Amino acid sequence: MSIGKLFKLFLAIVLALPAGGCWNRVELNEIGIVSATGVDLKEGKWQISYQVVIPQAISGNVGTPSSAAAVNVFSTTGDSFRSAISRASQETSRRLYFAHNQIVIISQEAARSGLEQLFDVYLRNADSRETVSVFLAKGSARRMLEQLIPLEKIPGAAIQRMIANEEANSSVFREMTMHDVLFDLLGASQATGIPSLTVAGSSESLDQADKLSRTNTPSKVRLNDLGLIDKDRLVGWISKSESRGVMWLAGHIKRATVAFSCREDDKGLKESSVLVTRAKTKLRPEKSGGKWVMHVAVDAEGTLMEYNCEGDLTKPGDVGKVEKAIEEEIKREMELGWQAVRKHKTDVVGFGGSIRQNDSKAWKSMKDDWPEEFSRMDARLSVRMKVGTTGMSGSGFKKTQKKARS
Amino acid sequence: MNKQTQNALTPLSPSLHANVKAVRSRFGGSSDLVVRLFRSDAAPDRELAVVYVDGLVNASTINESIMEPLMGMALPEHAPRKGEKMIDALRGCVVSVGSVREVRTLDEALQGMADGLCLILADGSAAALTADANGGDQRAVTNPQTQTVIRGPQYGFVENIRTNISLVRRIIRSPNLHVQMHKIGRQTNSNVAVLYLHGVVDEGILKEVYRRLADIDIDGVLESGYIEEFIQDETFTLFPTLLNTERPDTVAAALLEGRVAVLVDGTPIALMAPTNFFTFFQSPEDFYQRYDIASFVRIIRYAAFIVSMLLPALYIAVTTYHQEMLPTTLLISLAAQREGIPFPGLIEALLMELTFEVLREAGLRMPRAIGPAISIVGALVLGQSAVQAGIVSAGMVIVVSFTAISNFVMPESNMAATSRILRFAFMLMAGMLGFFGIFISVLFMLIHMTSLRSFGVPYMSPMAPGPKKQGLWRDVFVRLPWWAVVLRPLDMKLRNPKRRPNGRKPAAQRHSDNP
Repeated sequence: MSIGKLFKLFLAIVLALPAGGCWNRVELNEIGIVSATGVDLKEGKWQISYQVVIPQAISGNVGTPSSAAAVNVFSTTGDSFRSAISRASQETSRRLYFAHNQIVIISQEAARSGLEQLFDVYLRNADSRETVSVFLAKGSARRMLEQLIPLEKIPGAAIQRMIANEEANSSVFREMTMHDVLFDLLGASQATGIPSLTVAGSSESLDQADKLSRTNTPSKVRLNDLGLIDKDRLVGWISKSESRGVMWLAGHIKRATVAFSCREDDKGLKESSVLVTRAKTKLRPEKSGGKWVMHVAVDAEGTLMEYNCEGDLTKPGDVGKVEKAIEEEIKREMELGWQAVRKHKTDVVGFGGSIRQNDSKAWKSMKDDWPEEFSRMDARLSVRMKVGTTGMSGSGFKKTQKKARS
Repeated sequence: MNKQTQNALTPLSPSLHANVKAVRSRFGGSSDLVVRLFRSDAAPDRELAVVYVDGLVNASTINESIMEPLMGMALPEHAPRKGEKMIDALRGCVVSVGSVREVRTLDEALQGMADGLCLILADGSAAALTADANGGDQRAVTNPQTQTVIRGPQYGFVENIRTNISLVRRIIRSPNLHVQMHKIGRQTNSNVAVLYLHGVVDEGILKEVYRRLADIDIDGVLESGYIEEFIQDETFTLFPTLLNTERPDTVAAALLEGRVAVLVDGTPIALMAPTNFFTFFQSPEDFYQRYDIASFVRIIRYAAFIVSMLLPALYIAVTTYHQEMLPTTLLISLAAQREGIPFPGLIEALLMELTFEVLREAGLRMPRAIGPAISIVGALVLGQSAVQAGIVSAGMVIVVSFTAISNFVMPESNMAATSRILRFAFMLMAGMLGFFGIFISVLFMLIHMTSLRSFGVPYMSPMAPGPKKQGLWRDVFVRLPWWAVVLRPLDMKLRNPKRRPNGRKPAAQRHSDNP
């Protein structure tokens, strides 16, 4: 090819590029970054609420960031999710941008009526990220979006950080991303647990930035019960302490503080506590007498944080007693959780998956009747606790004081 | 020279005055032509003449080594005092400069004078002498202006090729350092020297260098850039295929590696070939500093090259097509900066990049006295004020400045220029097609780079094609300690491919030798 021809070809390509390119270019100031989405059911229609970030309010170019609220909340309704979302263009100047959506809050009513449409949207579309955290709301999801959260500018991101913090430090709930939810619902047990949010405090909403100038806030968003989802519907709630038991059973404990009393029989105040730093749960299903039994073995390790009992912890024997007390306490927590999920016939602890792995033939024969089968199951719980360190002092403060006097 | 051109040359006449007249007329009566006619005591009947071009010669050499001996000469009794024999006697017994040559044609004599030789004519002789009295004003050897180092020699080439060759010779003190002079340029008759290390160099490449140099036909050679464009393998490429330097130690290092160096009279910049892409990332200091820091800095340089080529393009692509790839906090911060910016990201970036290029070019040409004033204008007005006025975003200013700074990391300015030009192509592709565009352009760039050759050596070797010999990687992305670098770096047919007989550790670290 001569240089002239080559140049013509080059020119053709270069001229074709601007014609084809640029068409889907989106500048940063043409998008509305959605930080949280709410799903409500209003009169049989989906009401989708959006929490849109106002970037200037967070980091302005000139001077200090303004004291205006950093987000704006509005809703659209429609028969389907996408039709509702597309209606948003009729009331906002910017294209809604969902890739950075942090959380989805689903109202109780919406969850009870079934969420298959929502899940389909997430499975089908590339711009709906499955990394969003899913929450249920007792009450309106939109109200949750309207709540400002102290310390944080963007409430959506704040709630996600709240659940991450909670999971890493107390493990009562687990951050359920859309991926986790879909993974559970498309797995063996087809059930999952989603943590819920409530607005605690007075009925006054924290929806103005000025209200944050006070040292205390009239109301705040708080994590509440765990919602149990079966297939695609909300079937019931379990309390926080029951949820902790579920976390033990499912092996999702990352770091948890367990309070225990000095007496093994669960009487008396739980004055002492241990920080569990490592926990592992092993499930072993067994068929005995026409009924499935799940052997749940928990292996945990922790640090003693508070100790107000008798005994000298410099002696290994006394540490063993403490470990025993902790084991009993963890067992009680698990039992509580187990009874709660059994009652609701929702296998959020993953027993079904365990049976399918261990005995796929038996699973095939009973998978259609799994919820009933699950509620008939027995769980044999065993815990092995190891207190790695008892801290810097041996015995409790009282005993040390007594010793000092003598 | 073949016979025909020999015939075309005008021979010198036996008459002194005829010769002087001819020289004068060929120089067009130039006022800087000095003709000194005189008689010597030893041969009072013979008129002699010393002819030279003022300013090209060293006045004291003329006086002390040519004029004085000639005027006060006492030829030995038996020495002939007539005709050409006398010229021989002058050469043998009188003129006391180092290099004296007999010339028989007017053209040779004239060329010699233009080169700064002094012409000695004697009446009755059709032969003359040219004595080397080269001199005149020239810049002293000083620090290199562009390629500075902290550790290492602190002198650079000057404009005089003879000085330059001597600077290299002072580093490689070996008769194996061969120098071949060529004259290139119909009018300028510039001296072009080819330097190589005999016994190391690839003879094929050396022949190729000679062939390409012989092929040059141009009226003048003012700088080595003229030569570079004639002898490089590929004209239509953004990538340089010849190294250049103004450091004698760099030339010496190149010769030791088996490369050929080309020095051109009138410029401190020497050319070296062949080369590969990776050599452009080596600074002389890499080899003077400890290997660990040298390797670290070299990796930084590769990174800076990529940054200076791609960073604005990546910024454009991410902010206009791939916002989902940014962390949320960063996205919001960037979005806040972009509020109220009137231009799309691509235009904004092009605007800032072009502004920087203008500033840079202005800085080069600015009188030194007003330099600081302009840099304040550049930094404050175009950086801070443009952001405050809401014309460009702060993030873009950071990207452009970092890109600009990265560009100065490159030790070879011609490779830095490559990344400067490519940057705009990548920015346009990123603005039109996002990451896809960047990847396509990078792909095409790599394809092009692998197709390049420098005097037959693949440009991307030893990466593509892979190394033919083990151990070629030891001085590419990192530099191993000197004792481990056994091979000369390029895939050439070197006479002597090893720098040292083996890769033994130095004596201090060989435990078997230590008591």
